[in-house]
Amino acid sequence: MLPHLDAAYRFARWLSRSPGDADDVVQEAILRAFRGFDALRGSDAKSWLLAIVRNCHSTAHRQQQRRAFVPLPEEHDPRDGYAMIAATPDPESASICRDNARTLDRLMSELPEEHREVLVLREIEDLGYREIATVTNVPIGTVMSRLARARATLKARWSTGVEGGL
Amino acid sequence: MRCAELSRSQAYFDGEVDAISAADIERHAEQCAECRALLQGLGQIRTAIRRDMTHGRAPPELHARIAHALDQETAIEAPRPVRRGQSTWRVRPFWAGAFGGIAGTAVTAALAFFFLLPSPSSPLLDDLVAAHVRSLMPSHLIDVASTDQHTVKPWFSGHTDVSPVVADFTQQGYRLIGGRADYLEHQRSAVVVYQHGPHVINVFSWAASQPRSPNDASRNGYRMIFWKVGDVQYCAVSDTGREELLSLVRLLQDASHT
Repeated sequence: MLPHLDAAYRFARWLSRSPGDADDVVQEAILRAFRGFDALRGSDAKSWLLAIVRNCHSTAHRQQQRRAFVPLPEEHDPRDGYAMIAATPDPESASICRDNARTLDRLMSELPEEHREVLVLREIEDLGYREIATVTNVPIGTVMSRLARARATLKARWSTGVEGGL
Repeated sequence: MRCAELSRSQAYFDGEVDAISAADIERHAEQCAECRALLQGLGQIRTAIRRDMTHGRAPPELHARIAHALDQETAIEAPRPVRRGQSTWRVRPFWAGAFGGIAGTAVTAALAFFFLLPSPSSPLLDDLVAAHVRSLMPSHLIDVASTDQHTVKPWFSGHTDVSPVVADFTQQGYRLIGGRADYLEHQRSAVVVYQHGPHVINVFSWAASQPRSPNDASRNGYRMIFWKVGDVQYCAVSDTGREELLSLVRLLQDASHT
């Protein structure tokens, strides 16, 4: 029934890297769309909704960071993801990992967010450069260079991590 | 040394170049090992990502959660649901084109609440509202997408039985976004589509054979304003307020007299 909900959910998953956060972000985005806070530009509803998802994600992310800087003692939870996000890639564990999908998932998650989002929008959501530029609010030239960087990084890390390349 | 065509090769891979450039790049890649390797690498990455990395579909729980949240939302806006006797059409604001279906009845109640006015019963009114609502469904809005009146107007002559006044009023807040053919009163009517803020306004026009309709009507929360120029009957339909719709009607009337 809700067209583009799957796309919104996938994009939110890749941005927030946690299913629970993704659910919250998608719900917030759909409600924002419903309330008409962000007027539909042109007729491309998918890009429009994904742009709202992205805004909701960065708002939520900023709030999380603010919380992290001034943690209330009772809120502090050692399972909070910061240590995980900060973890550096370990080439040795990558090379023994035979599960390509998991390796690829991890390598994509480790990309900087501005690289990861253009890669996801291009390869998974199949958006064109112009639509990606709309969603991420940067010029098309920037979309192209970020896409190239994302792909290069991914390819390089994959090649060193897994014997025989992709 | 890095090949200067790498960026174009990537654009080619992503389907972002025209046919002539594509042929260029294919010829170039036959000579250039660097671009060949790039294209091959891009293909490998794409294959791997599309095979393994989708994070699938939104889980049913999330569907349910969002449906519930939308219902809550409309419940706040419409504390007193209003039912109309013969109403079968759901009323949807423009965004619902993107999210067709969900919470439609609640939205109906919310909007009917604001626009509850007596309206004469007429099959024409039903047809107009039906055509308007249908146009808000995904990809039904526009047959010829253009903000240029000189593109939209000639298009009608081949596709409809009337030649309505077409003008862009972006300055005044009514942006021409295109045209569409629709079937009304047993003829191919012309529909000029405007965007006003988040609202879509459909301006229907057809050769008037019937006695004149009421000047002003509303159905299921949609406002309709009728007027006639020569033998062409016009009707503007939208979910905007009456004054906003009337402003566009005045602009169109002025345009057809100049």
